Amino acid sequence: MMIKALLTMIHYECLLTLRQAFSWLTPLLFFIMVVCFFPLALGSDHALLHTIAAGIIWVAAVLAILLSLNNLFQRDAQEGYLELFLLSSYPLTLVVFCKVVSHWIIYCVPLLLLTPVLALLLNLSFYENFILILTLLLGTPVLCLLGAVGAALTVSLRHQSLLLPILIMPFYIPILIFGTSTLVAANSGQLLNGYFAILAALGLLCFAFAPFLAALALRIGVSQ
Amino acid sequence: MTLTVTNLSFERQFITVFSQLNFTLAPGELLQIRGENGSGKSTLLRILAGFIDAPPSTIQWNYQCITDCLAEYQQQLHYIGHQNGIKHHLTVYENILFYSALGNASTTDYSSILTKMGIAKRLHTPAHDLSAGQLRRLSLARLVLSERPLWILDEPLSALDQSGQFILGNLLNEHLAAKGMAIVATHHDLPLALSSLKTLTLERA
Repeated sequence: MMIKALLTMIHYECLLTLRQAFSWLTPLLFFIMVVCFFPLALGSDHALLHTIAAGIIWVAAVLAILLSLNNLFQRDAQEGYLELFLLSSYPLTLVVFCKVVSHWIIYCVPLLLLTPVLALLLNLSFYENFILILTLLLGTPVLCLLGAVGAALTVSLRHQSLLLPILIMPFYIPILIFGTSTLVAANSGQLLNGYFAILAALGLLCFAFAPFLAALALRIGVSQ
Repeated sequence: MTLTVTNLSFERQFITVFSQLNFTLAPGELLQIRGENGSGKSTLLRILAGFIDAPPSTIQWNYQCITDCLAEYQQQLHYIGHQNGIKHHLTVYENILFYSALGNASTTDYSSILTKMGIAKRLHTPAHDLSAGQLRRLSLARLVLSERPLWILDEPLSALDQSGQFILGNLLNEHLAAKGMAIVATHHDLPLALSSLKTLTLERA
């Protein structure tokens, strides 16, 4: 019963975002543009592009996700839905978790699917591509979970467009470092277990605490 | 089930909004809150719904302070505020399903509820195509969708036409007859059948 209700919630959250095409297309197009700009700006230096490829894709993904975070609770706040979340029969933490899952499906899965195509521009081999997507697969949920805390903290502010990225960016640094250095390590032939383990550990940590913290922050936001 | 409020005062940025409110609400009773614009009606309702923290032990639900059992308390109540809590990009039916997933609906007979609210013909209309009155009716449909003993309604009559007000009156009558409780902030007289109406008038501080 509960699982069914949670799946219904995720389903409608996804449907809602899909029906507002500009809200999910904007971060996606932004991601494509940013990645495309680097080969255009740096010229056809294959070796250089190859060296910085992981960094470019990761930074572009982080920026695209930051761009999308305002959509997480903003509409709910405008439509008076946050109050309903608080009065829900399920813990607010669980509702927030469902929202983050649907956010990841709508905003991050397309990024993951586009990465192999964009990696062609940056001269990545099949193996490197595979590693890069694995790191993104582990890293993007963490970005969404952490972002949800920031989005919940800033939900009661009217003009919050830049505060949220500035607030949340410092917390993205560990993910960014381990995400990009995995590919560097892969190229120098090191064992990758440690890198993936750290990314997964960060993921589990955020999985355990971020929805709870975001729920707390939302309660404060509603009381304003 | 009782809701007891004792010596409830509230100030916002060092300005007293209201002070020393006392009342008790027992099953089958309705409290109407009156007061001028800016006298703190909406704030009071948001405090009673647990959205804004009240001073400790001023609000008690079944003789237990609501801050100690906030989650359980909030699952016992419906709150309908100025915003309708409707997803404009979902149809009427999808809105109902989405809310049911969230609110643990006690019934699945959606069509009879919507017939009752007078919006059954709009079942597959996107909510952004509904009029303000129809949105309000859809939002009031939540009261019937899941059964909860305490209703907190902030200006529920706004945007409703004559028949809409009549429907709301019926809902309230049925709810109170079934030993429910309601707190309603409104300037208008509610179309009610029974006498168990308490009134609280807020003075502007």
